[in-house]
Amino acid sequence: MSLSRETIVEGLKHILGADSVVTDERILRESSIDRFRMFEDIHGVYTQPIPAAVAMARSTEQVAGVLRFANEHGINVVARTGRTATEGGLETAVPDSVVLDGSGMNQIVVIDAYNMQATCQCGVPLQVLEDRVREQGLTTGHSPQSKPLAHMGGLTATRSIGQLSTLYGGIEDMIVGLEAVFPDGTVTRIKNVPRRAVGPDIRHVIIGNEGTLCYITEVTVKLFPYLPENNIFLGYTVDTMKTGFEVLREVMVNGYRPSVARLYDPADGAYHFAHFVPEGLSVLIFVAEGPAGIAKATAEGIEAIVARHPECRKVESRYISTWFADLNWGPDKIAREREGILQTGNINRTTEVSGDWGCINDIYENALRRIIEEIPDITMAGGHSSHSYINGTNMYFNYFYNVVDCGPEEEVTKYHTPINRIICEETLRHGGAIVHHHGLGKARTPWVKDEYGSSYYILEGLKRAFDPKGIMNKGTIIPA
Amino acid sequence: MRSLVVLDGTVGTADRQARALGAFLRDGSTGHPAAETLVFFSDDRDMGRLVEQAPTRGVRLVKTAERRPDAIVDILSAAARDAENQLFIFTGGYSGTELATRLAHRTGGTVMTDALSIEIGPERLTCRRPVYSNHMVGSFELAARPWCVSIDVSWDDEAAAARREHVVLSSTDETGAAGGPDETPFEDLELVEPPPTGDLEQSRFLVVAGAGAGSRDGVERIAAAARRMGAEFAVSRPVAMSAWAPMDRLIGVSGTRTAPELCIVAGASGAPALYWGIEKAGFIAAIDLDERAPIAKSADAVILDDGVAVIEELAEIIAPKRE
Amino acid sequence: MNAMRILVRFKVTPDYEALREADWAAGEGDCSDRSGAAEADARAGSGVASGVETRYVPRILDCFDESALEMALRMRDATASDGVPVDLGAISVGGREVEPHLKTLQALGYERATRVHVDAGLDFAPTVTASIIARYVQETNKTDLLMLGCRNGPDDAGTLPFLVAEELGWPCVTQVTEVMVLSDDRVRVAHMVDDGLLRVTVRLPCVLGVGNAVVARLRVPTLTARLARREAHIEHVQTSDLGIDVVSGLAGESYVLTGLEVVRRDRSGTIIGGQTPREKAQTLFDSHLKSLMGKL
Ligand SMILES: Cc1cc2nc3c(=O)[nH]c(=O)nc-3n(C[C@H](O)[C@H](O)[C@H](O)COP(=O)(O)OP(=O)(O)OC[C@H]3O[C@@H](n4cnc5c(N)ncnc54)[C@H](O)[C@@H]3O)c2cc1C
Ligand SMILES: Cc1cc2nc3c(=O)[nH]c(=O)nc-3n(C[C@H](O)[C@H](O)[C@H](O)COP(=O)(O)OP(=O)(O)OC[C@H]3O[C@@H](n4cnc5c(N)ncnc54)[C@H](O)[C@@H]3O)c2cc1C
Repeated sequence: MSLSRETIVEGLKHILGADSVVTDERILRESSIDRFRMFEDIHGVYTQPIPAAVAMARSTEQVAGVLRFANEHGINVVARTGRTATEGGLETAVPDSVVLDGSGMNQIVVIDAYNMQATCQCGVPLQVLEDRVREQGLTTGHSPQSKPLAHMGGLTATRSIGQLSTLYGGIEDMIVGLEAVFPDGTVTRIKNVPRRAVGPDIRHVIIGNEGTLCYITEVTVKLFPYLPENNIFLGYTVDTMKTGFEVLREVMVNGYRPSVARLYDPADGAYHFAHFVPEGLSVLIFVAEGPAGIAKATAEGIEAIVARHPECRKVESRYISTWFADLNWGPDKIAREREGILQTGNINRTTEVSGDWGCINDIYENALRRIIEEIPDITMAGGHSSHSYINGTNMYFNYFYNVVDCGPEEEVTKYHTPINRIICEETLRHGGAIVHHHGLGKARTPWVKDEYGSSYYILEGLKRAFDPKGIMNKGTIIPA
Repeated sequence: MRSLVVLDGTVGTADRQARALGAFLRDGSTGHPAAETLVFFSDDRDMGRLVEQAPTRGVRLVKTAERRPDAIVDILSAAARDAENQLFIFTGGYSGTELATRLAHRTGGTVMTDALSIEIGPERLTCRRPVYSNHMVGSFELAARPWCVSIDVSWDDEAAAARREHVVLSSTDETGAAGGPDETPFEDLELVEPPPTGDLEQSRFLVVAGAGAGSRDGVERIAAAARRMGAEFAVSRPVAMSAWAPMDRLIGVSGTRTAPELCIVAGASGAPALYWGIEKAGFIAAIDLDERAPIAKSADAVILDDGVAVIEELAEIIAPKRE
Repeated sequence: MNAMRILVRFKVTPDYEALREADWAAGEGDCSDRSGAAEADARAGSGVASGVETRYVPRILDCFDESALEMALRMRDATASDGVPVDLGAISVGGREVEPHLKTLQALGYERATRVHVDAGLDFAPTVTASIIARYVQETNKTDLLMLGCRNGPDDAGTLPFLVAEELGWPCVTQVTEVMVLSDDRVRVAHMVDDGLLRVTVRLPCVLGVGNAVVARLRVPTLTARLARREAHIEHVQTSDLGIDVVSGLAGESYVLTGLEVVRRDRSGTIIGGQTPREKAQTLFDSHLKSLMGKL
């Protein structure tokens, strides 16, 4: 017998205190979704089951208490911190869910400059942590565009990645240890060490779990020296994406580690670079950073590689540094975006995938062609590569469409999902991964079995083992 | 050389115009030649008050049709034919911009709007005024005369309200100059709203909510707290544009400019376009999560915390003291 | 019934918001340091443009012009079914940066798209700008209603609509926030005046200067619409075609920008300490606000 909403609220108040259990109608409605359904939100339409309450946890013990309670009564729990999720991970897919919000757990526990690591609670905004460590001349090296908004818990739970990843890696390369609470209330801590070979690396059960296995309460990340004065910004135009990918590849396989290595196609690039890039050209961007000698050597190496491609023409580096300084998204841009969508009905969506060097251009070309051919009302379709590896890179499809002849609640089914389908199909067909860094959420679960293939067995095993009652974020990663 | 100060009494802002022009003549201009005021009015009952308010001793009265800047421009153009009249000074705001611009164009003179100050020389007039969305102040040199200058709307000073002796130098009725109803391209005038931002403009205690309020709910909570404290409530552009508050609450270059004694800014970064609207404030307290937000440098005191939470706490403290 | 022919003038400007504080400071004083020949340079507007370096930031539609462009589209839409056909044209005075915007406007249904080619910066030259626009309107004789944003670039003087109207001898309403088509020769507009919001019916031809309207964003054309209008002609006009000599026009501009200073906004920025919002609020009140209460 499932509990009534009232009983759930009472139970939560008992654990957290009345002040920490939010039942305001409007807040509950807005807590039933994330940016995946932002079009509905902007129009005040909410189609998902409304949660019973938002529970504001202040400590690991409270998290454990809420999870135990939910586990006992089969209540679906949606973990949440910074609320910048883009793929439906925060949707309360089941009636009477509880949203467990950790944004109040916002203490930086320690910044250990000697051992170059910092420990903080899950609700610390990355920007806050970054500002604090910079006061000591350090950086986390993590710089997702959502840095001003996203929190450490969510960033870990989604396997996020920042704009400087080619040097510093994704969050999985940064996390040395963490604390997480499992549905039965078990609190687990993985200690902070440089490396270990004590069996499987269980950090990765937690990193990227998107709230489907456990609740992350604390993380410890590496720190690096912050040396912005050494940064060298490089930019080039290039005639074709194919050549652009080739340059990226050569930079990577020759052993260079720029922090930023990006390739914009003409459509996407026009949004940022029209003031210095002629129409129809793609744009390559690199930032070399680190100790002065390394930054210089990296920049020189890149220059030499680019010089082998006569198609590439250098642009003034101040264009690149100016652009780079204004890349992050704070509440201001979010507010402006909403205003624009409301007035014009034009909305921007993205889907990020990855593939090896051998297939990435095919994924890019085929998906884009199909989007333009098959989807109505597209106003822009393009993309960029922003995270490169020795064996391949990602593709961040960026597209806008006008929502016409349908209600707000049909936007996802009429446009976004069909586009996701095209991109996922093309990616799978060529052997890439259907999600590079936003998480699977609920939006891309229809393709998860194809993504995993035979290894889906392991994923299911994890879910069975750690969340046997299936109370953790139903419908996320594993289809409902 | 003479300068003519124009007071447009055919619209509802004459009091303010008079204060502003008085303050400007006193503090904003140097090298000033003898000045007279041209007072336009359309209702005889206003005449006495307008004369009293005029910022110069010498006053010329001109009766004309209500809300007809085109008619005023015609009359001024005629006045400019007198080579002595080389400088025309208009009030700030929209009407000053219109009159100064059109007069300059008709007479082959030079227009300068939003003057912060002018320096009058024998051959040239130098003027400072805001440019680049108020990021900068530009200095300009004006050559061709007559110089038609409208002053910046920041000019205003209660103390500059004239209480001097006046001499009415002339009085004419030019009501006919506006032409009959057939000759005007304008019909069915309807002033739909009383001064939409008057209360903001006059406010002595102002609370400003910015995008950092995060949601309509956040904005409404700040507005409610402002009410409890007896403060006027204003918002930044993103807030107004998201329809989280009515447009008439907008503060800044596209909205209202204020000069409160106390201004509390919650969740607005202090972009120049907004700051322009509050820079005359006596004391600015800012609440922002980001100590590197520009407002943290352009406020007198800064609280680094959630804007809604702090405003509500302030309301708890201040409301009882303001009853 | 005759069509109402609307021409919207727009300007593409650097996104000043994307400039950093240091960029402004770098532009300071540049003009006043010039002398002699440099003054002529400043006259040409280009001297000023190099005062504040804006080359490195993206270009955007001036926000008031953007309102005007969308308003005109809505006027067309509103009358599409009931008789007064609206014919739309767009014009901009500038360089190549204007072309992508003209293409966008063509895809949105602007039938006529015109660029008056000018190399010189017209940032502080409203009179020259006004005469170019007015002359184009007169020469082509295809405009009943001219709309434009109230602002003309960084000059911020708000004079342009009046100057164009004076050149044309047309009536002018500025700070327009709403427009409605009444018939093929009348529009009803709402506009801000110093003492409120004024509604007025205006007989055409006339000039409307658009102010802070609620309609602020221009709609976006689909790729299909762009494709369909791909071959559409953009009219390129030289100022000499209009009988205007920009260089001598600039030299004759009746004012000259001689200096720029950054607006400094130094206040002490004292950070109020405390743990909780409550504590901080109390400290702020005790240390600063209490003494102000009497003045409120
Ligand atoms: C403008 C914008 C730009 C972005 N740029 C980037 C980018 O550059 N790189 C990038 O990687 N992502 C980016 N994102 C996506 C998003 O910011 C990341 O996914 C981020 O990691 C989410 O963090 P959050 O704190 O906002 O998490 P939330 O949105 O609160 O949650 C995200 C997911 O994690 C789960 N979760 C949250 N907290 C916990 C927890 N404590 N324990 C377990 N599970 C939890 C949630 O259930 C949900 O499934 C961007 C998003 C936006 C809106
Ligand atoms: C031609 C033109 C005219 C303009 N006219 C105007 C105008 O008249 N008025 C106007 O306002 N703007 C105007 N603007 C826009 C202006 O440039 C800025 O974009 C705008 O003022 C920013 O508004 P904001 O401060 O609310 O938002 P943001 O700049 O986004 O600032 C939000 C602030 O809130 C802080 N914050 C976030 N969360 C919280 C929290 N929980 N608690 C406390 N603080 C928080 C952030 O750190 C940030 O400092 C104009 C722009 C142009 C181009």
